[in-house]
Amino acid sequence: MKKFSRILALMLMLAMVFSVAACNGGSTTAPANGGEAGAAGGGAEYDPQADGIEAGASLIYWSMWSEAEPQAIVLAAAARAFTEATGVPVSINFNGRQGQREGLAPALAAGETIDIFDEDIDRVTGQWSDHLLNLDDLVNGVFSDTDGQPFRAKVNSGLMEMAQERGGGTFTVVPYQPFVFTTMFNKDLFEEAGITSNPTNWQEFLVACQQLVDIGIIPMTVDNSYIPALFGTTVTRIAGSERTLEIFENHEFSDPAILRTAQVFEELITNGFMSPRAATNVFPEGQAAEFAAMEAVAMYLNGTWLPNELREINPDINWGSFAWPSIDAGGAGPEAHNIGAQCFGINVNTNYPNAAFAFIRWITLGYWDQRLADDTWGVPMANDAVWPVQLQDAEVIFASTTDRLPWAAGAEDDPNVTAVIIESFQRMAAGTINAQQFADNLAAIS
Amino acid sequence: MVGRKNKRMIVLFLIPAMFIYVMVFIYPVLRTFVMSFFAVEAIETPIAAWTFAGLNNYIGLFRIDLFNRSVTNYLTLWFVGGIAVLFLAMVYAVILTSGVRLKKFWRAVIYLPNIISAIALGTMWINYAFRDNDGLFDRIVEAVGGQTPVMWTGPYMGLWSLLIAYCFGMVGYIMLTFISGIEKIGDEYYECASIEGANIFHKFFFITLPLIRGVVRSNIVIWTVSLGTGVFAWSFMFSPTNLTLPYTMPPNYMREIIFGGRGSAVVQRDSGAAASVGILIALLVVVISVVSSLITRKDDVEM
Repeated sequence: MKKFSRILALMLMLAMVFSVAACNGGSTTAPANGGEAGAAGGGAEYDPQADGIEAGASLIYWSMWSEAEPQAIVLAAAARAFTEATGVPVSINFNGRQGQREGLAPALAAGETIDIFDEDIDRVTGQWSDHLLNLDDLVNGVFSDTDGQPFRAKVNSGLMEMAQERGGGTFTVVPYQPFVFTTMFNKDLFEEAGITSNPTNWQEFLVACQQLVDIGIIPMTVDNSYIPALFGTTVTRIAGSERTLEIFENHEFSDPAILRTAQVFEELITNGFMSPRAATNVFPEGQAAEFAAMEAVAMYLNGTWLPNELREINPDINWGSFAWPSIDAGGAGPEAHNIGAQCFGINVNTNYPNAAFAFIRWITLGYWDQRLADDTWGVPMANDAVWPVQLQDAEVIFASTTDRLPWAAGAEDDPNVTAVIIESFQRMAAGTINAQQFADNLAAIS
Repeated sequence: MVGRKNKRMIVLFLIPAMFIYVMVFIYPVLRTFVMSFFAVEAIETPIAAWTFAGLNNYIGLFRIDLFNRSVTNYLTLWFVGGIAVLFLAMVYAVILTSGVRLKKFWRAVIYLPNIISAIALGTMWINYAFRDNDGLFDRIVEAVGGQTPVMWTGPYMGLWSLLIAYCFGMVGYIMLTFISGIEKIGDEYYECASIEGANIFHKFFFITLPLIRGVVRSNIVIWTVSLGTGVFAWSFMFSPTNLTLPYTMPPNYMREIIFGGRGSAVVQRDSGAAASVGILIALLVVVISVVSSLITRKDDVEM
């Protein structure tokens, strides 16, 4: 019965994933006043006047989330509570990721009234940087809800440094819902296989894989969407972070690190450490079916959002995470991860910057930051917040990461390269090409 | 006779519709055409910031392996899929207009995929029909003694799986058009043919087919036009995050270079080249429509 429920949940989830991806989510306006019981209270005592919230302010927030996602549900409730506390109405358009990526920039360019918007930090600070208000004064300001400290001192310092770096030395965004891209695994399967400590280098990783195979568990899998990230991250463990970025940026695919990476994958595949379905998995089949529903696979290199994505299918997974292991001397190690975040930006043309920043603080501090983390099994922003139990291992990885890699370590920056990486990996997983042919395919990219 | 006053009223009532048509159809088409000759990063970049590039966008596209692959995929799907869809739709249409029992039921069954969301259909195909080992297709292959898994959604079979899934949804629509054409043919033709001793094949090749050539032509155009836009969603479902070689189609490539990648946020955007892709797709549809008209023009029959 339980298995049937999981399969049913899997099918519904797959349909929902495609719906969310293809239909851009909903486009709904959250009611200005909702009065959700117990939702008010963004942390400390709130004093709208002391915080300089503009008289008559109202906010329009274009959100990257789809209406039915847990993040959107929390944000809508937070907006209602914010209105109750401050008297500032907040209208939210939940555009979904695709809708946001396609619709926001033309809307901003056309002068549509939008006060706050959000998306992935690289996209906001890159493609939409012309529309961002400088937040230096606000981020360094002291407010009634920051306990006498500057706002930036109340939230994750690493993420704020990242925001400042992406803004070219100034603050133009405030991160939230951060993530680290790392090895997510099923602790129960590890325990069943007798693995008592997390692998820290490649040899230990291969030993752990063999222990899993010995009890009939496939060590890891991947979907077509995450092959480039798996590839890019593995190249960093061989060539080092800086060299990896150079390889992808300059198309230097004759570098020996590419062949070595292909050999690492070949070893995983030929030893049965990589699921044969990696050759055919269409996202999210691998993570949803193999990893979560059937619990046939123990590991998946993915973001800390994975537990939340899969909880409808299998809420009982005992989640763990460890850094993608070091492979070769000279390569990167557990200090190097792709860390990112969604982020809030304030439209440079807004009439209500103080009100907008007050709303951002409302979400990233205190009750609503914790609520967002709790309800989405996500990473909180505030220093005093508690990470969800599913991500307690990831908290250590997050804190020890000093080398912040870009998404997929740059392996996904050029669609022509990405397509060849995916095709070559799948062919190798299908057993039709070897590591040398994999490397040759990349080297042949014009 | 329409009086002068009435004519003025007609013009007056047409103005709002014409205005909307010009603004949401003619203007974007013209803007896209002009944009295709300029270097333009983002779709919202003001015209003053466009740089004239001549034919560079078009020439540049054909130097990109992924775009060339998308064109090959598209033409394969158009040609092979087109033959399959037109053939199957015609067979179904002939059977359903030949007096078969439960005609309405069978017609509804064949048309059913058209009223189901493409997303639901895609989920069914990818996660059930094409699934390795325990999916429908692998079980059929296994039952007839073939080797499994076939890896339907892998790098070798991917395009053919997409073709099967897409065509499955289109057969019913094209079939209805054929049925409406066949039902216009008078029974007397078939009765005369029967008296003369014609069998079902004679009737099809010497009566039905010649009299529905116009419908065939229309269906070729419908297939071409619908493929130009409809395949986007299917390619998206088979490769939901990144462009992949077996599934990439020109509209998907176009989207990628307008808005950037769905995974990485730092993909180089090139809306000028994307406009060129749009123009090339439109040109392809026009060329196919003209060619199919020329081929069948002389054979149209007045019924």
